Amino acid sequence: MWVNMGPQHPMTHGLWNLKVRIDGEIIVDADPEMGYLHRGIEKISEDRHYNEVVTLMDRTCYVAGLSWETLYITAAEAALHIEVPERARWIRMLTDELQRIGSHVMWYAAFVQDIGLMTPFLYGMRDRDLILDLFQSFTGARMTYEYNRVGGVRNDLPNGFTDRARKVMDWLMPRFDEYDALCLGSDIFHRRCDDLGRLSATECIDLGITGPMLRSAGLARDLRKDRPYHRYDQVDFDVATATAGDVTARYLVRMEELRQSVRIVRQCLDWLDKHPGSVLAQELPRWLGAPYAPVGAEGYLLKRRYPSGTGFSAVEEPHGEAQAYVVNTGGEHPYRVKFRSPVFANMSGAKSYLVGYHVADIPPIMGSVDICVGEVDR
Amino acid sequence: MATTLYSVSDAISSLLLGAVGSIFPEPVHGWLTSTDVVTGLAVLIFCAILLVASMINTIMLIWFERKLLGRFMDRRGAMHVGYAGLLQNFADGLKLFRKNTFMPREADRLGYFTGPTAYMVTSMILFGILPVSSGWNGGSLPLSLLLALAVFSFAPLFIFVSAWSSNNKYSLLGGMRSAAQMIAYEVPILLAVVAVVILAGSFDLNTIVLEQQNYWFWGPLVVALFVFFVGMLAEMERIPFDLPEAEAELVEGWNTEYGGMLFAFFMLADYVRALIGSLLVVLLFLGGWTMPSYVPTALTSFPLAGIFWFMLKTYAVFAIFVWIRASLPRVRTDQLLRIGWMRMIPLALLSIVLAGLVVLARCLPVFGCVPTLGG
Repeated sequence: MWVNMGPQHPMTHGLWNLKVRIDGEIIVDADPEMGYLHRGIEKISEDRHYNEVVTLMDRTCYVAGLSWETLYITAAEAALHIEVPERARWIRMLTDELQRIGSHVMWYAAFVQDIGLMTPFLYGMRDRDLILDLFQSFTGARMTYEYNRVGGVRNDLPNGFTDRARKVMDWLMPRFDEYDALCLGSDIFHRRCDDLGRLSATECIDLGITGPMLRSAGLARDLRKDRPYHRYDQVDFDVATATAGDVTARYLVRMEELRQSVRIVRQCLDWLDKHPGSVLAQELPRWLGAPYAPVGAEGYLLKRRYPSGTGFSAVEEPHGEAQAYVVNTGGEHPYRVKFRSPVFANMSGAKSYLVGYHVADIPPIMGSVDICVGEVDR
Repeated sequence: MATTLYSVSDAISSLLLGAVGSIFPEPVHGWLTSTDVVTGLAVLIFCAILLVASMINTIMLIWFERKLLGRFMDRRGAMHVGYAGLLQNFADGLKLFRKNTFMPREADRLGYFTGPTAYMVTSMILFGILPVSSGWNGGSLPLSLLLALAVFSFAPLFIFVSAWSSNNKYSLLGGMRSAAQMIAYEVPILLAVVAVVILAGSFDLNTIVLEQQNYWFWGPLVVALFVFFVGMLAEMERIPFDLPEAEAELVEGWNTEYGGMLFAFFMLADYVRALIGSLLVVLLFLGGWTMPSYVPTALTSFPLAGIFWFMLKTYAVFAIFVWIRASLPRVRTDQLLRIGWMRMIPLALLSIVLAGLVVLARCLPVFGCVPTLGG
């Protein structure tokens, strides 16, 4: 019997359809169907100024908007040959890590809801709110930030931000232990999640699966270490790995990443305290929103030739490895923008980690993938 | 004579009929105040009191759960309608009442409408069987415990009927799970109850409670209490055993296709069953309306003290159910059935053996008891 789990189904966490063929309660075939949320972001980008594409990036992944902003903006800057001030790079790293905490906590909340835990769901949402408050204090928004600009970031962090952020980090660290106590301390959690959705590292590589799913299979592949961007080569952190490759292992990896992210955030805050400076490149052309342009009317229409080029960037996004490719042919719009969504690859392998398990196992397994349909369909 | 539910309704009935009859001339007045009419109205009033009390208790139970869950989850639960959200559930019920009653096109009409109604009715009947204090029950039957459990176990049938007739794959899966789960957990529940019956020597709930005046049964029958409690969790379909309506994979399980008042029937009946489950735990293991002798008599002799203590215990038991719901994930169907058949039944059998040993031990000269079964 084929069962359509989606497009409107509590398990999906977004707009997609998981078709599963079941024999009794056993899954014998699975076929994920994406595309319900396609908005043509890549095509729209070709018709937007470089800075305007940033607003689309927030809509690409609604739980990790800033990660996608920095992903795109790094590629765009490479295509435009623009150097970014050091402080902006550190701020981007800070926002990336805060975003990772926000996204992973959100994942935790959604995942525990899938296996029937109600209380930690609200704990997760409660703690994510603190991260959103931090974002709000320097971007003015809670989900769609529009914070990055070609050549840096829109504005510097407000006064007292670093202390506030440190306080939040101090609050979060014991909460992560509480999360673990609520999940790992429960025998039922292990019954539900151990040996579930198993994937070996080889299978992950074959399917193009990246991020926490790959690391949970034992491969310490993390772009922040392997191909450092921003200033990840100047901070101390460990790559979280596990060996089992099952749902519990993915949980463990994400929990460890939360702790490592807090570590990175603290280092970023220390650095930012010591190194004040500009956060936006000064020698920008007017149409790219130079600092002296009035806000809102940033001289976009002043057309100017700019040396053509292409830019590529790869970012360890909370869900996995995201990549962006921007082609600049000298105009004021990017000629072509292409993204690689990690979740698209992670989800597409659904058949290989679903078949053989029970229908009741679908929510924890798909939950452990950490699905964000916005970036899958783009 | 102690006030009982029937004596109260009889008093109301004769008062009402006396007042109404006084405005009519003689033949009507005499007929209205005759014993038959007074008794007949008394029975109706009796039923009405029972219905209203149980409905209010059920709705308050939902409020209690919402508030308690809210506190567990670092929030406040219902707050805005009435004092501390007390009237929120009445508002919700009214909203559901106003909604359109619909039916999926391909659904089976008879089953679709009969299922929830029968589920609701069979759950409500139980309030007429269970005593809440000495004399405060619908009728004193010698086999009331057996009858209660029999009625309680009707539920999977009606759930399955409504699930199948909804013509929805999720409903069908949920209904099958529900039937499997409830049938699997009937057995350990009944076996655990057998332990209680051995100790009390009766199937009459009144007698079972009276037998607990000296010591509550949870002490000697702690294993049976555990089995009964877990079994009740499964019968109520609450987390961790709420897989028939496992939201994550089966949308809403067997009541996916229901909306409006029919959904309200399911929801209400679920809480009725939760209340019944808590009542049964208190009746069978926690001494019902009796209190230990070291509790000062002032605390146990005020009017309606029995009902007060009984409801207090019931809500305390339900609070444990809520606590479990707030802190555990749900298990999987096969795991649930394995727990039921492989763990609960041996434990229930063990509890029967323990109950037998307790009965034997009671006959030891130390306790100076008469050596009769259930003595």
